[in-house]
Amino acid sequence: MRGWIAKIAAVGRVTEPADDAPPAAVGAPTGVAGSLQIRHVDAGSCNGCEVEISGAFGPVYDAERFGVRLVASPRHADALLVTGVVTRNMAQPLRNTLEAIPAPRVVIACGDCALNRGVFGDAYGVVGAVGEVIPVDIEIPGCPPTPTQIVSALRSVTGR
Amino acid sequence: MTLTLDATPDADPVMAHHNAFGAVAAGILTSVLGVAGVGVGLAGMLGPPRSVQIGWLVPLIGVALQLDPLGGFFIALTGAVAVPVGVYAIGYARREHLGAVPLSVLPLFAAAMMLVPAAASVSTFLLAWELMAAASLILVAAQHARPAVRQAAVFYAVMTQLGFVAILLGLMVLSAAGGADRFADLSAVPAGARTAVFVLTLAGFGSKAGLLPLHAWLPRAHPEAPSPVSALMSAAMVNLGIYGIIRIDLQLLGPGPRWWGVTLLVIGAVSAVYGVLQASVATDLKRLLAYSTVENMGLIAVALGAATLLAATGATSAATVAMAAALLLLVGHAAFKCLGFLAAGSVLAATGLCDLDRLGGLARRMPATTILFGVAALGASGLPLGAGFVGEWLLVQSLIHAAPHPSTVVALATPLVLGAVALTTGLGVATMVKAFGIGFLARPRSDAAADAREAPASMLTGMVAPAVACVVLAAAPCVLATPLRRVLAAVPAAAHADLSGMGTVLHLPGLAGSIAPGLIAVFLVIAVLVVLGASRWGSRRRPPPVALPLWACGADDLTARMQYTATSFAEPLQRVFDDVLRPDTDIEVTPLEESHYLVAAVAYRARIGDAVQDLLYTPVIRAVTLCANGIRRAHTGSVHLYLAYGALGVLIVLLVAR
Repeated sequence: MRGWIAKIAAVGRVTEPADDAPPAAVGAPTGVAGSLQIRHVDAGSCNGCEVEISGAFGPVYDAERFGVRLVASPRHADALLVTGVVTRNMAQPLRNTLEAIPAPRVVIACGDCALNRGVFGDAYGVVGAVGEVIPVDIEIPGCPPTPTQIVSALRSVTGR
Repeated sequence: MTLTLDATPDADPVMAHHNAFGAVAAGILTSVLGVAGVGVGLAGMLGPPRSVQIGWLVPLIGVALQLDPLGGFFIALTGAVAVPVGVYAIGYARREHLGAVPLSVLPLFAAAMMLVPAAASVSTFLLAWELMAAASLILVAAQHARPAVRQAAVFYAVMTQLGFVAILLGLMVLSAAGGADRFADLSAVPAGARTAVFVLTLAGFGSKAGLLPLHAWLPRAHPEAPSPVSALMSAAMVNLGIYGIIRIDLQLLGPGPRWWGVTLLVIGAVSAVYGVLQASVATDLKRLLAYSTVENMGLIAVALGAATLLAATGATSAATVAMAAALLLLVGHAAFKCLGFLAAGSVLAATGLCDLDRLGGLARRMPATTILFGVAALGASGLPLGAGFVGEWLLVQSLIHAAPHPSTVVALATPLVLGAVALTTGLGVATMVKAFGIGFLARPRSDAAADAREAPASMLTGMVAPAVACVVLAAAPCVLATPLRRVLAAVPAAAHADLSGMGTVLHLPGLAGSIAPGLIAVFLVIAVLVVLGASRWGSRRRPPPVALPLWACGADDLTARMQYTATSFAEPLQRVFDDVLRPDTDIEVTPLEESHYLVAAVAYRARIGDAVQDLLYTPVIRAVTLCANGIRRAHTGSVHLYLAYGALGVLIVLLVAR
């Protein structure tokens, strides 16, 4: 117990100071500004984007202070965050997940593979980029995108 | 010869016709007997005591009958169970093709059960008791073509006859010490004999009521007996075990000393907790209901024990409440357990299944049966609006109000027992949620459950009557106030009962505390209506709802195999109570031929036996088998040897008698 408190005192605040809010990309989907519940789907990613997303929600970049949360079910979500190229096995589950998110909803494609198939190109097992399977509202380029980019894109939806 | 050949093709329709007629006749006869029983019982409870002596019926001793409030209460209760069971049996016997023998014994069984509380002498009581035991045995063995039924019947026969022997010895000691055959003529019994009678009759009546450790016949006999018989046995016959304890131990020998109360408390609490634990992990619907009977009889024994202990230590008000709780629990249990077994029988008749792991989805196929079982499950879970609620509330109140007491025994026993009752009720809710949720809701887990069809009208009619009784008991238990007062006055532990406060608002006699089950029901109904209305009003501006498939974690559709099963629902409980239940689980993983790391199939097997039965009964059965094998050696089949035995026997008799 005392160890924790000493640690907290020694380390201090690690969170990076926030930049100014980016311009709004889309209207807040729920009609409530400043809050976004995200369901994340890995459609065939190499896990690079996942590492960066976990970084974005970690203590240093702390996306939650801008009102963004990752949730466990599409039924709880306002937005769908898709990483990776869409593989054959994940194409239908991706459509099902989008279907399960209550409207109005936002689809965010994260990483170059999700935007334009990236290095996977026309490989066997690839159906296409996310935009070829479901409509995409926000794009986050990069291979992988940095946590700063991800946080910035999410802030453009929450408006904070 | 020609005649025989001609007659053969006609034989089947004639048999079927006869069976249909037999079903109607047996059902109506049972119901008529039930109506008569209710009438006679009410007369006994509300009218003056009457007695009849029929000398010619049985040589030497005759048959002595009497009608008093206590007996009348149990006659009316048994009759009230027999009426719906008779109606139900008409449809059930047709669907399940019950034979002529069980159909003709069914009314006899009902009559024998109503004869037991009417007996006025030891000999008549024993006669009626044995008649009831034999009739129930024939009914349990109704479908004796199946080996499981034969096994259960043998088990039941041995246990019920051993119980009878204990009762026989106990009542003979009572009769000899009291110097009379008639209950009314018994004089004061010396202390030693009194103790012996208590121990013997508690063992005998306890085995009939299903109290631990003599409960083992219930979970064996009930799943194998036809459902109307299960309903009669579980809602009426086990009550007579309680009747025996009240009549012989608490009324004729009563008021009992403290240790009688403590004994009943301990046995009752252990039975209740163990019964509900086994019920919570049972996957067979009828086995679950049978263990729930053990639980409820345990609670009733707790109430009787509390009444005895509190009366012996001077807390008469709390004792009265405990006794009233026992009687209300009896009535409530009879109503919801009768309904529960009848609904389980209707599921069995529709699907051929009682295994909860294979049922499910019956709410769409059998809506009426589902609602009726829901009423029974609500009653069994002891929640408000359920038939068992008021009884359990009274029991808890009597235990709470006894607590600040100078006697150490009371001060120690009541909080402990209160904890046991609370644990029992909590686990009971989980059990009934499992039985109803897994068995009737969600999607069917087998083709048989998917093809189920609703029970015929006579079976539904038979189930509606106990359901109405459940609702009345839950909302307006004050209808029982007058009969309860008469019955309580007859029991020494609660002789000075003042139940005048038992109206719409139920005030505890002599204690601070009151409850209004009717008002609770009304408020709940109003609250539900208000919430429904408010949500409809609030949703008037929202966009119209959209129907989408259920979320299946990305897969296209849910399958029945994704659902909870009865086994998985009870798994946490099974894990927590591992030491008591001693489950025998086994996971078998079959790898693929190509690689040890790839799995072809995983098989999970779980068997939860009865730990008490394994620990107590198996050694006894082994010893008996050993003795029987030894004796068999003496029976070689040689006539010469038997003649020698005969000669030896005569010689011994001559020597002894000389």
